[in-house]
Amino acid sequence: MRSRKIYMLIAGICTLLFHSCELDNFDGPDATIYGGIYDMETKELVRQDIVSGAQIEYVEHGFQNPVTQYQIIKNDGTYRNNLMFSGTYTMQLQRGNFVPMDPIEVKVQGDTEINFEVIPYIRIKNAKIEKEDNIITATFNMETTVPNNVATIGLYFHQQATVGYGSKLNFVEATINEVPTEDKLYTIRLDVTSYSSELEEGKPYYFIIGALIDAPQAEAKHNYAPPVRITI
Amino acid sequence: MKNYKNNRNISVFFLTILLAFTGCTDVLDLDPKDKIDGDRLFKDPEGVKQYMANLYYQLPIEDFNYCPYSNEFGFNVTNKANYNTNGIIMDTYTLDGVHSDWHIGVTANDFQWWTEGYELNRDVNLLIDEIPHLNVSDEERKLLIGESSFIRAYLYFGLAKRYGGVPLIKETQEYIPGKVDDLKVPRSTEKETWDFILEECDKAIANLPEDASAWGNYDRRATKWAALALKSRAALHAASLAKYWKNATLSGTAVSQGLVGIDESEADRYYSECIKASHEIMASGKFSLYRPEPADPKEAAENYQALFETPYVASEETIFLKGFVRPGQGTAHNYDIWYNPNQTTFSWPHPGRFNPTLDLVDMYEDYTKPGESAPIITLENGQIDNGGYHRLRSYRKFDSPEEIFRNKDARFFASINYPGGVWKGETLIIQGGLVKPTGEAIVDVDDSYEHNGLTYYTYGADNALKYSGFSNYGFGNMTRTGFLMRKFLSEKVNVTPTWNQSITDYIDMRYAEVLLNYAEAVVESGYTADNAQVKAAKAINDIRRRAGHTTEIPLTLENVLRERRVELAFENKHFWDLIRRREFHEAFDGGKQRLGLMPLLDLRGDKPQYIMVRTRIRYAYAVNFLPYQYYRSIPGIGSSGLIQNPQY
Repeated sequence: MRSRKIYMLIAGICTLLFHSCELDNFDGPDATIYGGIYDMETKELVRQDIVSGAQIEYVEHGFQNPVTQYQIIKNDGTYRNNLMFSGTYTMQLQRGNFVPMDPIEVKVQGDTEINFEVIPYIRIKNAKIEKEDNIITATFNMETTVPNNVATIGLYFHQQATVGYGSKLNFVEATINEVPTEDKLYTIRLDVTSYSSELEEGKPYYFIIGALIDAPQAEAKHNYAPPVRITI
Repeated sequence: MKNYKNNRNISVFFLTILLAFTGCTDVLDLDPKDKIDGDRLFKDPEGVKQYMANLYYQLPIEDFNYCPYSNEFGFNVTNKANYNTNGIIMDTYTLDGVHSDWHIGVTANDFQWWTEGYELNRDVNLLIDEIPHLNVSDEERKLLIGESSFIRAYLYFGLAKRYGGVPLIKETQEYIPGKVDDLKVPRSTEKETWDFILEECDKAIANLPEDASAWGNYDRRATKWAALALKSRAALHAASLAKYWKNATLSGTAVSQGLVGIDESEADRYYSECIKASHEIMASGKFSLYRPEPADPKEAAENYQALFETPYVASEETIFLKGFVRPGQGTAHNYDIWYNPNQTTFSWPHPGRFNPTLDLVDMYEDYTKPGESAPIITLENGQIDNGGYHRLRSYRKFDSPEEIFRNKDARFFASINYPGGVWKGETLIIQGGLVKPTGEAIVDVDDSYEHNGLTYYTYGADNALKYSGFSNYGFGNMTRTGFLMRKFLSEKVNVTPTWNQSITDYIDMRYAEVLLNYAEAVVESGYTADNAQVKAAKAINDIRRRAGHTTEIPLTLENVLRERRVELAFENKHFWDLIRRREFHEAFDGGKQRLGLMPLLDLRGDKPQYIMVRTRIRYAYAVNFLPYQYYRSIPGIGSSGLIQNPQY
């Protein structure tokens, strides 16, 4: 009898306490955005760095002090954000390896695909990376789309296919500061024995050719050829 | 019975009414007994002193109790319940050192000091408002004006080096209900912010006393010289930014409005401000280097160690010092427990946390080759190889691991504990492994090997308490670079092995830094007036002479920067040097690995001998520092409406 009263009392108190617990949360993200960064001319995806690569900036409309949101881009040049709020955004590709782009206004709702067509600063062509004995040799041609010099060329390596300037075990770089001609062949050699602390015998590594345009004020990033897997 | 219950209900009802309305009189409006209101505090000169002590306490002095790791830590960390530095110091973020256990790189939450900065700003502004009304002599009033300017300059320096241009709030803000927007002050440009800092320094210089005795018993309060040294430091920072900030390009609204970045044309003006402020200290004759002419490097090392172990012996060199007075929370620090070698912990469980790198050790000169850094040569052919042990390489062999450091700059021996060095009477055993007679090495494992009837241990002894390096004992008790910190630690006194027992004073500004600021500003700006080139060369050679060097070297940027790095090692200056000179993103480019030196006992020869192996630090990663990280993110812009720094 007594315990029943107590239960009633507890039940009563709980009813009172939790009465105010209406669901007052904001709605969660309800939209997605995805797409890729394509070379305007070749229609191929433009490879990006994840660390210190290009970023997409979003500013959502309708806020007094909007916070800029930043998104990185995958190595293959595609991006995806599955946690977007529906709404109108100013969207801009920033600090990339392509000619700077103006911001665009984007309406995000449901699954929204936004692709970018860009002019990469440098196109690395006829790229080859081969290992002979202890020497890894990279050869390639370059084509630039802007009048600037190519500042540096380099060969970067890492255990993972995310390899690039921002993700490397080590590298060989050369400062060239010139505008490449169509048929000039560039060669970078890497002596495996000089990198014994990073390159272990019998293990595979990814090597990638990168080139950086001389446009620091545009915060230009490296352009790449696809990575090549080589077992040491 | 029933009646009684009714009566009781009625009583309760009246009592409730009575209580409810008692509040209508002011009988409870008492002044709190444990607090004092502003008017009364400032009426009493002792109250002003108390208030001032609290302002000093809040200054962003990067001392032994500063932990830059995430905004939960910060300044005076031993005064926060359940917080300590975790053995992280500013050089854990630089090329000069690593934490023995953790992998640490700069993140958005590190090195934050926004809310605390503006709290101190409000506190000092309240005092500045009161100064004209205080019941003190004109002389004391002048001192207070100087002192509050010094505090404001110091605090805005703390903000500007983290955030760039910031809101300059020069008067106490009054909140009028409903008018929140009136409190919002936009950011000033970075140039305006640095100019304000220098102006406040000037005001402090004009009003502070020449002699600390003007403060009576409180002679650690700021003097004119502390204000000049602060100006020297701040102007050099601003000048370097103007000269170098474009080496790490940023973009966005904060850049286009000048909230971050200073035009290159300003560099020479800031350099000359630094030169003049430093020169005034140099020409005053009030300060000198502690024991400037040692007889030999051994004596130089003893002097240099004493300067940091017992700063009270070196008043001629200390310009501004933060005291740690008595063991206990908040008034002491933890350097001695965090950084002693594992062999001298006196059973404290977490020693050895900071490990200087080989990169830094390489920088110290060799007395036989003055004027250049002297990388540790481990191979017989004299080449540098950082690739770890390789059985086919011919290594130099030593009977004792410390032989390889012979002839190094005295400051190396006074700043760093090293394999085979003697500390608190113990020879430090720091060994990474063994080389079997076959040439195969045993490293990274606690093991032993029988050879000619004797047992040899990988880490140099059979028990972890007898050595200080390379094993994972205690998850960070052992150095993983081969080196440990010696500067600042008490060698003569064994500090009680528990929390908050170290009371070594922290020298925030010393004469050697002023000389180095001067030399750097002169060489960077090509300043020639007032015989500056000769004086700057003398400045760095005086510092080298105190370290036991006898050959003079010429004034070059490389010489000045190397001298600065070794002289001020672990004094929390190098981090800001990398920031202001925009060298951080090149030092940490995602590929560069910090280095260590691993002694191995080589059993291949007639007798066991040591070889020393240059190697990447065990279990460390490469770190990326990106250009946007030169500025910290500003918290709370959603409500303050301030323009955020780039890419946050």
